[in-house]
Amino acid sequence: MKKRILIIDDDPNIIDYLEALFTDNGYGTSSAGDAKEGLKKAKEKIPDLVTLDIEMPGEWGPRFYRHMSQDPELKNIPVIVISGLSGNSYAITKAVASIKKPFDREELLGIVKDTIG
Amino acid sequence: MADHILLIDDDKEHAGALKTYLNRLQYDVTIAATSKEVLFHLGDSLWDIVLGNLLINEETASSIASINKQNPMTQVIAFALPNQLDTVMDRFDLTVTCYLELPLNSKMLEFALNKAKKQSLQIQKINRYSERLADLHDAQNLFNQLFDVVPCYISVQNKDLRITATNKRFKDHFGNVIGGHCFEIYKHRTSQCEKCPVVETFNDGHVHSTEEIVTSKSGKQYNVLTHTAPIRNEKGEITQVMEMSTNITQIRHLQDHLTSLGLMIGSMSHGVKGMLTALDGGIYQLETGLNNKDENRVSKAFDQVKTMTDKIKKMVLEILHYAKSRELQYITMDVSTLANNLITNINPMAKNNNVLLDISIPDSLGKIEIDPTWMEAALVNFLENAVDACAFDRKKNKHRVTFKIWEDQKDTICFSIQDNGIGMDQETREKMFTLFFTSKGSQGTGLGLFIAHRVVEQHGGNVKVESEQGKGAKFNICLPRQKPNNSKPNGFPVAK
Repeated sequence: MKKRILIIDDDPNIIDYLEALFTDNGYGTSSAGDAKEGLKKAKEKIPDLVTLDIEMPGEWGPRFYRHMSQDPELKNIPVIVISGLSGNSYAITKAVASIKKPFDREELLGIVKDTIG
Repeated sequence: MADHILLIDDDKEHAGALKTYLNRLQYDVTIAATSKEVLFHLGDSLWDIVLGNLLINEETASSIASINKQNPMTQVIAFALPNQLDTVMDRFDLTVTCYLELPLNSKMLEFALNKAKKQSLQIQKINRYSERLADLHDAQNLFNQLFDVVPCYISVQNKDLRITATNKRFKDHFGNVIGGHCFEIYKHRTSQCEKCPVVETFNDGHVHSTEEIVTSKSGKQYNVLTHTAPIRNEKGEITQVMEMSTNITQIRHLQDHLTSLGLMIGSMSHGVKGMLTALDGGIYQLETGLNNKDENRVSKAFDQVKTMTDKIKKMVLEILHYAKSRELQYITMDVSTLANNLITNINPMAKNNNVLLDISIPDSLGKIEIDPTWMEAALVNFLENAVDACAFDRKKNKHRVTFKIWEDQKDTICFSIQDNGIGMDQETREKMFTLFFTSKGSQGTGLGLFIAHRVVEQHGGNVKVESEQGKGAKFNICLPRQKPNNSKPNGFPVAK
């Protein structure tokens, strides 16, 4: 079965990009434009991995992550932070990786593959 | 050192006796018995005292009469027979310090010599004084010049904080205001400033410095860096305080501009990174679409690349607009031409977002004097904002932007741009023209409306906004038909 990746970003162009990239490489995807929608989607169908933008309207990425890590069903899902903020590696310390926009797609795919195969 | 006396006497015996007597009084004496000798010795060296019978012949007499011109220090003592004394006195008058009667009385002679010596010392003293006075005068001139030409505003203030002296530059910018209070003249205040460096210097005698904003007589505001220094009297008491202010307005403006540029680049970097990532995404999809011959993907990717390049272009242009300040370049153009340019500009964006453009522009609106580059950019910005406000609104099905132009009063052209988009809350209404304020998150730069508003103001116009959250917004922009007289420079100084 395909591994599923949940993409959370407020920029629809970037969601488009990540969806295409992951689909092309054999992953299933779903996406959310903000943290609230992200939590809802994650609970509907538990993903194998989450990519998370830190600066989003409504609720910031770190708060989304706190909610997620308090939920027993979701707390073990690996998270990759993809953000334009500098120094973002400190924002979510337990993330498996933090990469900066604009990112290198081979690097991102490498991390995804190492994490969920 | 012994004083040198030239003794003029043609009576050899008398001269010899006198020399012996004078030597005993520690004078160094040279005798001149003939006019030739007199002339030779007078030219030969400087004499402290010339003593003698001045009328031995006419030549001697005239050279003695002019002796003061050659050497004002030389004192002359004349002796003569009682019957000749009047003649001698008539001839020499004040050139001679003392007149003595022959035969000489030793007491009188001694008195005359002492008097001559004293007078000589006094002349020396006066010479020294006048030299010093000349030096002092030069120094004063120099200081006055320095005081006037230093590139600072200098004022001297007394304990009542009244100005007692100012330099030229101060007078040029703040007027000739001796006697006035410094706070009135510098700041147009009616009471003393809160933290007065002059008062502090009066209190502790130290140099104090502050940065102030002062207002010149022409109403211009300057940022100045102010230093104060005490002026003391002979007893060391502080009687006055000097205040020197350097005009740093230009530096401050530049600093503000640079700070806000830095701030802008910082605050925009997130948006820029997002755009670059989206551009990457477009290129990736274009590439894979081409490889897989997936026409759908290619055309969608191409659209995205185009949108992102447009956005990046717009952002870069905004930064350049902001970074560069230039004079407005006014030209006179038809209002209808301006309107057409605006509609051509906004049409594609409205179509893409499914927003209906409702345009009502009468013919014969005449001409308007504007800088088209800036004004078109500004008006398009208002139109784009209206379309954006519709595009962000998910609650209504049909969206519409109404664009009207009309002549309001005589020689005022008004533009109204109304949308039924998301509208604005109070904070957004209050801050929308502030630098770097944006309600669009990482999609906005916070520059668009700031620049648009500035451009309208610089054209002598104004912007009025009505809006309610959820119901849309209406912008009324009114411009004078002719360029305003006091056209402001097109820099963007940032308010603190």
